Amino acid sequence: MSAIEIGLLSFPFLLVLIFLRVPIGLAMFLTGFAGLVAINGNSVVALAKLKTETFTTFSNYSLSIVPMFLLMGHFATLGGMSQALFKAAEGWLGHRRGGVAMAAIGACAGFGAICGSSLATAATMSRVALPELRQYGYAGGFSTATLAAGGTLGILIPPSVVLVIYAILTEQNIAKLFLAAFIPGILAAIGYVITISVYVRMNPAAAGTRPPVPYAERLRALIAVWPVLVVFVTVVGGIYLGVFTPTEGAAIGAFGTGLIAWLNGGLTRNSLVESFFVTARSTAMIFFIVLGAGFYNGFLALTRVPQEISAHVVGQGYSPWMVLTLILVFYLIFGCLMDSLSMILLTIPIFFPVISALDFGMSAEHLAIWFGILVLIVVEVGLITPPVGMNLFIINTIDRQTPMIETYKAVLYFVASDLIRVAILVLFPGITLFLLG
Amino acid sequence: QEVTLKLHQFLPAQANVPKLVLDVWADNVERDSGGRIKVDRFPSMQLGGTPPELIDQAIDGIADVVWTVVGYTPGRFPSTEVFELPFMVADARAASSAYWQMFERHMKDTEFSDVHILATWVHGPGMFHTNRPVRHPADLQGMKIRGGSRMVNQLLELVGATPVGMPVPAVSEGLSKGVIDGATIPWEVTTALKVPELVHNHTEFEGTSLYVLTFVLAMNKAVYDGLPDDLRAVIDQNSGLEFSIFAGGTQADADGPARQVAVDLGNTIVTVPAAETAEWRTLVEPIYANWVAEMQGKGIDGQALIDEARTLIDAYAN
Amino acid sequence: MHRFFLGLSRLMAVLGGIVLTALVVMVCASILGRSLNGLLHGAFLQSVAGGPANWLLSIGIGPVAGDFELVETGMAFAIFAFLPLCQITSGHAAVDIFTNMMPPRVQRILKMLVEIAFAAALIIIAVQLKSGMDSKIRSGQTTFLLQFPVWWAYATSLVAAVVAAVVGCYMAAVRIAEAATGRILLAEDAGAGH
Ligand code: NA
Ligand code: NA
Repeated sequence: MSAIEIGLLSFPFLLVLIFLRVPIGLAMFLTGFAGLVAINGNSVVALAKLKTETFTTFSNYSLSIVPMFLLMGHFATLGGMSQALFKAAEGWLGHRRGGVAMAAIGACAGFGAICGSSLATAATMSRVALPELRQYGYAGGFSTATLAAGGTLGILIPPSVVLVIYAILTEQNIAKLFLAAFIPGILAAIGYVITISVYVRMNPAAAGTRPPVPYAERLRALIAVWPVLVVFVTVVGGIYLGVFTPTEGAAIGAFGTGLIAWLNGGLTRNSLVESFFVTARSTAMIFFIVLGAGFYNGFLALTRVPQEISAHVVGQGYSPWMVLTLILVFYLIFGCLMDSLSMILLTIPIFFPVISALDFGMSAEHLAIWFGILVLIVVEVGLITPPVGMNLFIINTIDRQTPMIETYKAVLYFVASDLIRVAILVLFPGITLFLLG
Repeated sequence: QEVTLKLHQFLPAQANVPKLVLDVWADNVERDSGGRIKVDRFPSMQLGGTPPELIDQAIDGIADVVWTVVGYTPGRFPSTEVFELPFMVADARAASSAYWQMFERHMKDTEFSDVHILATWVHGPGMFHTNRPVRHPADLQGMKIRGGSRMVNQLLELVGATPVGMPVPAVSEGLSKGVIDGATIPWEVTTALKVPELVHNHTEFEGTSLYVLTFVLAMNKAVYDGLPDDLRAVIDQNSGLEFSIFAGGTQADADGPARQVAVDLGNTIVTVPAAETAEWRTLVEPIYANWVAEMQGKGIDGQALIDEARTLIDAYAN
Repeated sequence: MHRFFLGLSRLMAVLGGIVLTALVVMVCASILGRSLNGLLHGAFLQSVAGGPANWLLSIGIGPVAGDFELVETGMAFAIFAFLPLCQITSGHAAVDIFTNMMPPRVQRILKMLVEIAFAAALIIIAVQLKSGMDSKIRSGQTTFLLQFPVWWAYATSLVAAVVAAVVGCYMAAVRIAEAATGRILLAEDAGAGH
C-alpha cells in the first residue's frame, strides 16, 4: 500500500474510532500511531516521535495561554462578575417582552469578553440566569436554548481559545484574529436578541413579564460591572497594542480576576482548589486533543495527502466560492456530531492549504483571518446544533427539569440566526476585516 | 525510484535557504542518481515537532535529512561555537570551509557521532534590526533584543541589551508589538520574517561581522549506511567541503537583495566603520576567555580551536 | 482504593494548579519589571532622577530572566499533572451518540477497550518520555538563557506522566471489572469543557 493510500484510509479508520466512543484525542493519537507503523513497517519512527513530541506539545509557549484563560474565566465567576453582568443587563432589558432572555444574552456577551471558552460561558451564565428566567415564567426549552446560544459568544467574542488554536495552526497573528472576531461577535449577540423578540412574538406563552427597575438602580448595576470592562480592556487591548504577548495577556487577566475575586471574598482556599480541578480537567482534555491532532497531522503530512488534496482542488479549477461553501457546509454537518476544537485541529491542516491556494481577491493574511472567523462561527454553530451540541448538553446537566427535546426545538431559531450571519459574513468579507483597516 | 528521502526543515519553502540551497542539493541528488533517489521536501516543520528537535529527528530517523541551526540545542555541539564567537568571521565562504575541515578533524566522531553530516556552514554577517537607531553599545541600553543562540545572548548582555529568549515564530509578532525592541539576524532572512516593515533601523558592521550562527545539513546514519554503494557515492559527491562553501556563500550572497529591500523602504542603515568597532570589541572580549574556560570544563581545548579556525579562515582568503 | 487514586489525581491537579498560578505571578512580575526597566531607561526619568533610576537598574529591575523558558518548563509539568484527574473523572471529549443506541453490555465492553487503549497510550507516552529524557541527559542540551539542563524539565514532567499512566491502568482495571460483572462501578460525570 502506498503512503497516500494509507493516508486516505486513515480517514474512515479515524471516524469509526470516534463513533465507537473513543475519546477524540485518543482516536487521533491511535490513528496517527497506526498510520506511522503502516508506512514504516515498524514502530520505530512512531515511538521515536514520542520521545520529544509530548513534552514539546505540552510545553508550547503559545499554547500556555489556554490554561491561563480557563483559570481567568473561573476566577471571574468567583469574583461575582457573572452575577454583576446579568444584574446590569436585566436592569436595562428585563421589563421588555422576552427581556430577561435578552439580558441573559447581553450578560453572556459581557462574560465572553473575559472568558475564552463557550462551555464555561454557557455553564456559568446558566447558573446565574436560569433561576431568574424560571421565576419570571420563561418556558424551559426557550430558556435553555437561549443560554446555549449565548454561551457560544464565549468563543466568538475575544478572547477565544479556539481562535488561539487556529492562530497557532495557521501561523497567524492572535491579536489580529481577536480584533477581527469582535464585530462578528457583536453581530451574533444582536442576532440572538432579534431571535428572542421573534420567538416571543411567535410563542407569546414562552415568556413572562418582569416589572421595570428604577433608573437609579439600573445605573448602580451598570457601574458594578466596571471590573469586567477593566479586565477586558487591559487584556485584549494590551495584547492588541503589543504591551504584552497573548500569553502574557492571559496571565495578567488571570492575575487580575483572581485579585478581584480575592478582594470580593470569592477566592477562598476551597474555591481555589475547586478552580484548579475545573481548569485541570478542561486543560488536560484540550491538550490531549492537541497532542493527538499533532501526532495525526504529522503522519498525514508524511503521506502528502493534504498537499495532494489541495493540488487536486486547485487543478480542477473549482470556483473559490464553491470550495469555501462546501467546506463551511462540511463543518455545519460535522458540527452536529463533533466538538469544535477537535474539528479545527483535525481539519484545518487539510482545508487551510486548499483555501490558501485559491484566489478570493484579498491578501494572504486577510484571507487567513476571514476564513478563520468563518470557521470559528460554523464550528460554534456546531455547539448548539442537535443532536450533539456540547452547549446543549452542559445546560441539560444544569437544568434537569427541561426535556432535551424542548431545548432542541427552541434552539433551531438560534441556529437559523447563526446561518443568516454566516451568509452575511461570507458575502461581505469587509465586515470581518473592517477593524484591521 | 528506489529510495525516498524525507527532507525536513523549519523555514517556508520559498525562503532563501530552502530555495537557493536545499532545493539545489535535493535536485542535484535526484539528477545524479538518475532518478533512483527522490527527495520529498517538508518545509515549515510539516512533519511535526519544533526546530530544536530537528537534529533528534535525523538521529532517530523521523526525518532522513534535516537542516538545522546548531545553536538551537545549546550545550550539545560545543565545538561549533568557535565560529559563533563575536568578531570571528568576515567571509561566510572562508568560515564554512574552515568549519567543514574542523568538523572532519574534531567533531565528526565525537559531538556528531550519532548522525551523518552532509554539510556545515555559517550565514552572512549577523547584525541588529531595531526600533531605534543603534551605533554605539550605549544605544542598546535597556533594549530588549532577541538572540538566536547561547553565544549571541551572552554578547547581547555584554553590550548592555536585555536578551530575550523568544521562540523563532514569535519574532515578527514580537517586533510588531514592541514586546522586543529588536532582533539579531542576518539580512538574508529579514525578508521572510518581514523585519524591514516592522522595524526601520539596521546596524551592520564593516569588516568582521558581529557574530554568525552555524548550520548543519544532517542525515540519518542508518539510512545513509543502508544505501547501495553507488547511491551513497551520489550523496557523497553532493556533500562535504565544496557543498558547505557553496551553501555558506549562497546564503551570504542573498544578503544583498534583502538589504536592498530595506534601502528601498527608506530604512536607516547604520554601518559601524571598522575604526569604530573597538568599543564593541572591548565589551565582548570576555566571551573568548569565558568560552575557553567553559570548553576546558568539557575537556575541549578551546584556544586551539580558535587558533585553528583563524588559520583556516585566513588560508581560504589567500 | 478509588479514594486513593482519586486523592492522588486531585493532589497532582493541585500541584499543577500551584505551578500554573506561580507561572501567572511570575509572568506578571516579568511584565512589571520590563515596564519599569523601560521607564527607568526613559529620557524623562534619566533627566530628572538619573541617579536613583540607575541605582534601581543596577539592582536588576527588569524582566524575569528566561521567563519564556520558565513558562514552557512549568507548563509541561502542569499539563502532565492535570492528566490523572481528567482520566479518573472521564473528562475526555468523546462522541457517544452512536454507542448510546447499543445494548448496555456492548457499551461496557467498548468502554473497557477504550480505557485499555488509553492506559496503553499513557504508558507508551511515559516510557518514551523517559527515553527522551535519557537522550537529553546524554546530549547535555541546555536551555537558551538560564542554561539549565533540558532533562530537568523532562524529569519533572516524567513524574506526572507516570502518575497519569498508573491512574490510566487503574481506570482500565475498573472498566474490565465492570465489563466482567455487569455492574457500573464508576458513573461518568459530564461537564469537562473548554
Ligand atoms: Na471570549
Ligand atoms: Na452540534
